[in-house]
Amino acid sequence: MILNDLLGLDVFDDRGERLGKVLDARFVLGGPGRAAPAGAAAGAGAGAGAGEARLEGLIISPHSRHSYLGYERLDMNSPAIINAILGWLHRGTFYVQWDMVERVTAHELHLRTGYRRFDPRLPPTPEGEGRP
Amino acid sequence: MTDLPPPPQATGRLLDAQLHLLDRSVVDRNDVPVTTVDALEITDIELDAPIPRGAPAPVITALLSGPVLATRIFGGRPPRSRLERIRWSDVTDIGIVLKLSVDGDSLAVTWVERWMRDKIIARIPGGHHDPE
Repeated sequence: MILNDLLGLDVFDDRGERLGKVLDARFVLGGPGRAAPAGAAAGAGAGAGAGEARLEGLIISPHSRHSYLGYERLDMNSPAIINAILGWLHRGTFYVQWDMVERVTAHELHLRTGYRRFDPRLPPTPEGEGRP
Repeated sequence: MTDLPPPPQATGRLLDAQLHLLDRSVVDRNDVPVTTVDALEITDIELDAPIPRGAPAPVITALLSGPVLATRIFGGRPPRSRLERIRWSDVTDIGIVLKLSVDGDSLAVTWVERWMRDKIIARIPGGHHDPE
């Protein structure tokens, strides 16, 4: 399957209410038991091979299907005018874990009962790993 | 920005597909540019079928690259057969660029460049050696 087929799908909860569109897919490199080295910053190398990249979750936006620089996922806040525009565009964006996906169709993605919404921002790292 | 709780901490480095992988340049093991990442191939998700709880999450199996200019302007995406694969296991480093452990010449994605070199450039007088 091509990941791009997942991006942009309409997302619905267990009651059929539309929540938004899939904005991005978050992968974890290394996976359980094969954690990447703690200091593996962007560009610093991830070892002999990058390791398995497992789908960890999806970022869902109720208002936009495009990311625009990742402002909604990073602690960037300037220039203020850009931040304000993109903050408004991505209001309500949230992250759900892949375990909470119940079904995928050609045009829709349905979440399980009791799914939880999480902060879509990437966790901060001292090395600035999350920067694009 | 958001009052949502942070997601449970993952055990490896996090990568957002749009932010860290798609559209990134790919260089071979000699740092020679090879292509850019136009799409990602992941293990199959069965469409229209319930995903059992605890089922293994999809993993990235390959980077895909191909003629995407027209589809980016007019929408859609090229047929799967037009996209060339670079195995994910050949990716060694993910940073500003994605670095491979193989030579670019060994990849199907560079066949047009090789064909141009061997069939056209090489037949031009002086085309067999580097510029002086």
